[in-house]
Amino acid sequence: MSDDSDSPISPKDTDLDELSLETEAERAPDPPKSPSPAKKEGDIALVNPRSQVRLVKHKGKLHLIFPTTQKLPVKAHWTEIWEQLKHRLNAGEQFWQPGTPIELIAADQLLDTRQLQTIAEALAKANLDLQRVKTSRRQTAVAAATAGYSVDQQTHAMAVDLQQVADSSAENWSPPMYIKSTVRSGSEVQHPGTIVVLGDTNPGSTLIAAGDILILGRLRGIAHAGSQGNYTCQILALQMEATQLRIGEAIARPPESPPEGYYPEIAYMTPSGIRLARAVNFFKTHSFVINLESWVDSFS
Amino acid sequence: MSRIIVITSGKGGVGKTTITANLGSAIAQRGRKIALVDADFGLRNLDLLLGLENRVVYTAIDAIAGDCRLEQALVRDKRQPGLALLPAAQSRNKEAVTPEQMEKLIGAIAESFEYVLIDCPAGIELGFRNAIAAANEAIIVTTPEVTAVRDADRAIGLLEANDIKDIKLIVNRIRPEMVQLNDMMSVEDVLEILAIPPIGIIPDDERIIIASNKGEPVVMDTNLTLPAIAFQNIARRLDGEEVPFLDLMAAHNTLFNRIRRFFRN
Ligand SMILES: Nc1ncnc2c1ncn2[C@@H]1O[C@H](COP(=O)(O)OP(=O)(O)O)[C@@H](O)[C@H]1O
Ligand SMILES: [Mg+2]
Repeated sequence: MSDDSDSPISPKDTDLDELSLETEAERAPDPPKSPSPAKKEGDIALVNPRSQVRLVKHKGKLHLIFPTTQKLPVKAHWTEIWEQLKHRLNAGEQFWQPGTPIELIAADQLLDTRQLQTIAEALAKANLDLQRVKTSRRQTAVAAATAGYSVDQQTHAMAVDLQQVADSSAENWSPPMYIKSTVRSGSEVQHPGTIVVLGDTNPGSTLIAAGDILILGRLRGIAHAGSQGNYTCQILALQMEATQLRIGEAIARPPESPPEGYYPEIAYMTPSGIRLARAVNFFKTHSFVINLESWVDSFS
Repeated sequence: MSRIIVITSGKGGVGKTTITANLGSAIAQRGRKIALVDADFGLRNLDLLLGLENRVVYTAIDAIAGDCRLEQALVRDKRQPGLALLPAAQSRNKEAVTPEQMEKLIGAIAESFEYVLIDCPAGIELGFRNAIAAANEAIIVTTPEVTAVRDADRAIGLLEANDIKDIKLIVNRIRPEMVQLNDMMSVEDVLEILAIPPIGIIPDDERIIIASNKGEPVVMDTNLTLPAIAFQNIARRLDGEEVPFLDLMAAHNTLFNRIRRFFRN
């Protein structure tokens, strides 16, 4: 892999691995990774997409899914949900028609009439029309009914069903999420598909995508592509200054000393961990080998 | 409609209160009617910096609780006719105030003033949400330090999430000689990360500390000093005037040129 050729079609890769790949993420070239990767607990805190507010299109209908209360830090339910919702609505490209009806799957979150009102107003601003509320909490059901929405009070079954749709593999990825602003410190964006940022991501921010991450700007925060274990996924940035890069369960930190000049770079999985390469020629020189779950340089 | 501006930062100790006092005085000097609201409940400071501590009778909490009329809680400054202060309470349970109450209170104040400046507490908890509840603009204060910039970035994200889109930046405590030696982030470095328009750059200057201790903001000093000019310039820019940024790097012009280049792009 670490060829020293400087020929233009085979750019020399920056070997992240050598510099500071975290050992727990080390993946030996052989034997190849077992087909069902054992989930490592503890060391790598892979954030669960189910702890996020999500907008999911399922069978032609739009759903706003709230995480269950166990998935959120105890004290901050409403604040957390509200902030995530606002970011979700502000950041995403609107892929729906004005006035599209939407169903809120509130899980076991406790919501009062005023909070439901606030949610409905925020949705209305994004041209969405809150019509139905599904909840497993009686108080929330009562509040929703009082506020005039159709209500489904039921067990977790329905929500869990949708969660699974949202979690599934590449063919079920949501359409790409476009973020046309700076992703700032403290904000964590998760998306069950590819994330495209037209702007910078700042230190202290985190992007987590089931698919690829494409940043048309500076990547300075954490980026996690293929978060559900898809090692074909890549991270591309016009200027790669990431705090940390993750693909699947592998983690790498970029070199301590910044490079002399910046050019678009792509981070990808190899048998020995995550590496960086100049983006321009990457797809001419590399191909993905499924049983290695890695990209290999076809010219070496 | 009056302008309700929250002065906030995320991190503590970067100069929010100092800037609220000085900018408030500078705006009052321009003949504007301005109210300063100390929203840092529990750590009352603004009255001290303005030299009004001994005139505080009622506080914001009394006004919210209905224990006094709003007019009674507003402290007027004899030296600065256009300026009034709504002091924060030190004692009562600060958790008792809600964003809705603050919004109502500040809305009532705004009826009789052209400007309302709100001095925000550090952090991003309830105190922050109280302070920003009524604001329609924000000024983010940071010093040229990594931690301050990180927290400022977080605060900007939260302001945006709360639909406060008009956000300007003040970089406080710049020390040209340190920037020159590459020992300090430059204004350009800060702007590059925060990506919001700057409205002021204030030098690190001990006269600011001396003035604070006297309870007389530097802008009230009859001798015009560099920090005073910096504050007056911010007041003018807030009023819509175009004022070039101070050349803090007078001895070594490089930073200024770099800032200028930044604005042109
Ligand atoms: N430009 C400056 N030059 C020198 N000292 C400053 C400057 N700005 C603020 N200070 C000092 O820094 C300290 C913290 O300022 P303060 O306004 O109380 O910060 P905050 O309200 O953000 O907590 C005070 O002692 C103040 O005098
Ligand atoms: Mg203060």
